[in-house]
Amino acid sequence: MTSQYAQAVVDGVLSGGVYALMAAGLTLIFGVMDVINIAQGVMVVLGAYLSYALSVHLGLDLFATLVVTVPALFVVGVAVEWLFMRRLADRDRTAMSILVTYAVAIIIEGILIQVFGPDFVQLHGPYVDKSVHVLGFYLPYIYLYGFMLAVVLLGLLYALLYLTRFGQALRASLQDRRAAELIGIEVNRVRTLTFGIGVAVTAAGGMVFGATNAFNPNSGYDLISRLLTIVILGGLGSIGGALVAAVFMLVVEDVVAVAWSPTWSTLVFFAVLVIVLTFRPSGLFGRTAVRAQ
Amino acid sequence: MHSGWQWQRRGGLLAAGSALALALALVLAPAGLGGSKRTAASCIKGAGKPIKIGASLSLSGDFSADGQAFKRGYQLWAAHVNSHGGLLGCHVKLDIVSDASSPAQVVTNYQKLISSDHVDLAFGPFSTLLTVPSSKVANRFGYALIEGAGGAPAVFANGLHNVFDVSLIIKNQLVTAAKWLASLPKSERPKTAAYPTSNDPFTQPQLPVARKIMQKAGIKTVYSKVFPAEVTDYTPIATAVAATKAQAVLLGSVDVPTVSAFIQAFAQQHYNPKAFIATAGPDQGSAFTSAVGSNAEGVMVPNGWYGGEANKLSRAMVKAYIKKYGGNASGINADVAEAYSVGEVAQQAVTKIKSLDNKKLIAYLHSGKTFTSVQGPVKFNALGENTAIKAFTFQWQKGKYVQVLPKGAKQSKRPEYPKKPWG
Amino acid sequence: MTGETSLLRRGGVFAATLAVTAAFVLFPLVFSNPTTTSIAFFVLIYMIAATAWNVFSGLSGYIALGHAVFFGAGAYTLAVGAEKLNVSAGWTPFALVPLAGIVAGAIAIPFGLISLRTRRHTFVVITIAIFFIFQTLAFNLSFTGGSSGLQTPFPLWTAVGYNQRFYYVALVVLVATVAMAVVVRRSRLGLQLLAIRDDEDRALGLGVRTSRVKLFAFTLSAIPVGMAGAVYAYFLGQIFPQFAFDPLFDITIALMAFFGGLATVVGPLLGALVLESMQQEFTLRFSAGGGIYLIAYGALFLVVILVMPRGVVPTLRDALANARERRAGSPGPGVRVHAPLRSRP
Repeated sequence: MTSQYAQAVVDGVLSGGVYALMAAGLTLIFGVMDVINIAQGVMVVLGAYLSYALSVHLGLDLFATLVVTVPALFVVGVAVEWLFMRRLADRDRTAMSILVTYAVAIIIEGILIQVFGPDFVQLHGPYVDKSVHVLGFYLPYIYLYGFMLAVVLLGLLYALLYLTRFGQALRASLQDRRAAELIGIEVNRVRTLTFGIGVAVTAAGGMVFGATNAFNPNSGYDLISRLLTIVILGGLGSIGGALVAAVFMLVVEDVVAVAWSPTWSTLVFFAVLVIVLTFRPSGLFGRTAVRAQ
Repeated sequence: MHSGWQWQRRGGLLAAGSALALALALVLAPAGLGGSKRTAASCIKGAGKPIKIGASLSLSGDFSADGQAFKRGYQLWAAHVNSHGGLLGCHVKLDIVSDASSPAQVVTNYQKLISSDHVDLAFGPFSTLLTVPSSKVANRFGYALIEGAGGAPAVFANGLHNVFDVSLIIKNQLVTAAKWLASLPKSERPKTAAYPTSNDPFTQPQLPVARKIMQKAGIKTVYSKVFPAEVTDYTPIATAVAATKAQAVLLGSVDVPTVSAFIQAFAQQHYNPKAFIATAGPDQGSAFTSAVGSNAEGVMVPNGWYGGEANKLSRAMVKAYIKKYGGNASGINADVAEAYSVGEVAQQAVTKIKSLDNKKLIAYLHSGKTFTSVQGPVKFNALGENTAIKAFTFQWQKGKYVQVLPKGAKQSKRPEYPKKPWG
Repeated sequence: MTGETSLLRRGGVFAATLAVTAAFVLFPLVFSNPTTTSIAFFVLIYMIAATAWNVFSGLSGYIALGHAVFFGAGAYTLAVGAEKLNVSAGWTPFALVPLAGIVAGAIAIPFGLISLRTRRHTFVVITIAIFFIFQTLAFNLSFTGGSSGLQTPFPLWTAVGYNQRFYYVALVVLVATVAMAVVVRRSRLGLQLLAIRDDEDRALGLGVRTSRVKLFAFTLSAIPVGMAGAVYAYFLGQIFPQFAFDPLFDITIALMAFFGGLATVVGPLLGALVLESMQQEFTLRFSAGGGIYLIAYGALFLVVILVMPRGVVPTLRDALANARERRAGSPGPGVRVHAPLRSRP
């Protein structure tokens, strides 16, 4: 029985990595730009489909497809921001972003249905079914790779935010747009790039998601609420927090599924979230003083 | 028939003209079914008018994959009917609207089909979840609802007389397979079994029935949990099942992604049950094999039909399907046959009563007559359930989808047991 | 504005309201096609929900994405109530509608107490989380029928006039909801909520009992949504947990209120009218072609939002005000005064 729990914890950690990868872009966009990107779920699916198309038609290895999908989604993100988000007044930004990104989400979904059809597909690769035998556990390769990818990408994001001038400019424009403009930061450009980066990271999440789940254009909806909860739990704007929160929640869910029943694990997931948020409204690693909470 | 006496009484050019026309019609019309097309004049609705048949299908949303398969089934049937003299002499026209897998939409849709589009007949949507509200709407307007994808108890619990399900009754779908496992000699019989199921009205009624049969034969239950229908990651659940090392797994699934996720996790965990039976998913033909590839080997599924079905009707349908959409018989989604059967039953009933009156149709469908379809015989009980259809179990063997149970049935091949290891 | 013009305006508003109400009442009699009345019914349901949602979220600025909890609770109240009390089909089940509202309101209290302690983004996510908790409960508790859901009584009314009966019941609920929205908007409660939206800490400092005010408004907003859920459940004849507790419902009513204009009374009504009828019509006529209708719907939506980011009603109202001012010869272009603390109909 203990081995079942241990297995559940291991599963939770590994799938947490996958979720963190999907949520990373969201926490960046949400936390740093004050925009609730409802389209995040669909963008994960979009990334998955792009990887799918490339691997099926060009025979590329799944990780190799990232070379194309990441820049492609960067462009998509920049386009969305430049065309739509930019026109939102700062005042009702958060609220309006829900509307706009929802519209973008259904457009993307419609395009995916037209191009790929409604059937479920999944990404395949020689290592997708295989696992490595460690300490009595079978660790699927795809999850291991996904976890490592998550750590690497999140680390890069973190570095971008805190160790580069661009990151500095970004955080400054978030804190106070006027002041940032006064010292010469082109706030609009920073925002556009940030949105682009947030969506680009999602391409990686999409690939791993597509390799571990069957998906179709409709799969985005189930994802978005979980991604939002992970982001909030981790603390807005906190990249590391997203990873910790994702791992934490997935472990809780998986352990409950073994101890009790899978039907209740979603409930426990959300109940834990509610409890944590009531006591720490800014999340595990959020900073309350960044702006008025 | 106008007697000479009436003709004389009427007199005049008019009577002569109509007699002439009648004579011409008699001469020109073929003396029975089949063969050349009938003239428009013999269409029961009037010259050149089509028979409109309405259905709401899920062409987007949760059920979109099945909805599309259903559409193909309805369309194949309509094409077949139209090329064989039409229905009651009339051309059949399908009026299909999409409901985006939403019950509110399906209610509006059937009202539109019936009261705005004035369809003559109504065919069912996909899934119990949508069939229930549709049947109530159809009932209000006095229409029969012949359907092939709403078979959970909820559909028949309303006391409605107008709903007719041509497909397998859900509850007993796993019985054949369970009985087979229970009847294996002790040395071969699985000692333990796991029963994971999705939280869904299609799957949940099936598992307890199977479990009871197997427990009686001494097969211990080591896992019997329900998982949410809308889960994003099946891996932990599948891993938990794998950890029990159960020798048989009966999975309550409603679609391909669920089954493929379980298979993938089982493969990753190097867990090879001797028998793996899923309630739905492996019956979706190429949609299944393209998701799981060679891991389809040995996977079993209960259903009422498969592409290799020997009866003449089925063979013709399979041929037509392959001609239009390509692929092979194993690649055809069982949903297509369900939809096709709906059309066939409607066709036979309507042709027999020579009328499109829904009241008469309902009465006739309830009269205990047996109809034929690609899925086999169809006979409705008072609730509208098909009591004549047989539950078979199928298995994927070397890339081909074959019938294996009941053992000894005419087309049953030998089941592959124990299942070959994954990979 | 002089007192005279104000009186004229008041009179105009009154006449307009009367005309609109008459239109609503007469609509199903004039357009009695069942397809139209069916869509009209669903439009009314969404109007109720969006208006009620707006009373809380529009005025306070707290975007709640969990109101489907109340909708589902109302639906299940009617179904369970009808079953347990052996209510026969016909007009009687409608008596359970007010009960559904009360149940929804009762649930809103603990829901509100937990979630209103947080603000902004956290609040949004907590409402989503609580929603999923309720959805899971609906799937798993035995008295909710689990995944097979519950039946509601099946009235033996004929097809003619069937939809109309439900339409009028919904209309009654709508009128009550709109009345409540108007009253709240014009009352001190409304002002307090708007003050909270503008700057909660300052409002607190000014003596507004923010927690109490928010909780009260939240509970008020839950009641009509519960009632709408009950009528909806009765109309469909069967409820399943994933449809009674549908996450898309939450987004939809928020969108409708946004579209029409937050913090206006007419806004959500307009939003529900346009979006729901468009959605049903589009699906009905175009979605057989796969994703085209989604693309068209989304694109249309996007265009409207970008052209009218504050919602249709405020944008139109400002345009009218500008036109009026320009006619009156005021210097320069019309100044857009956004004065949230001033009472408006």
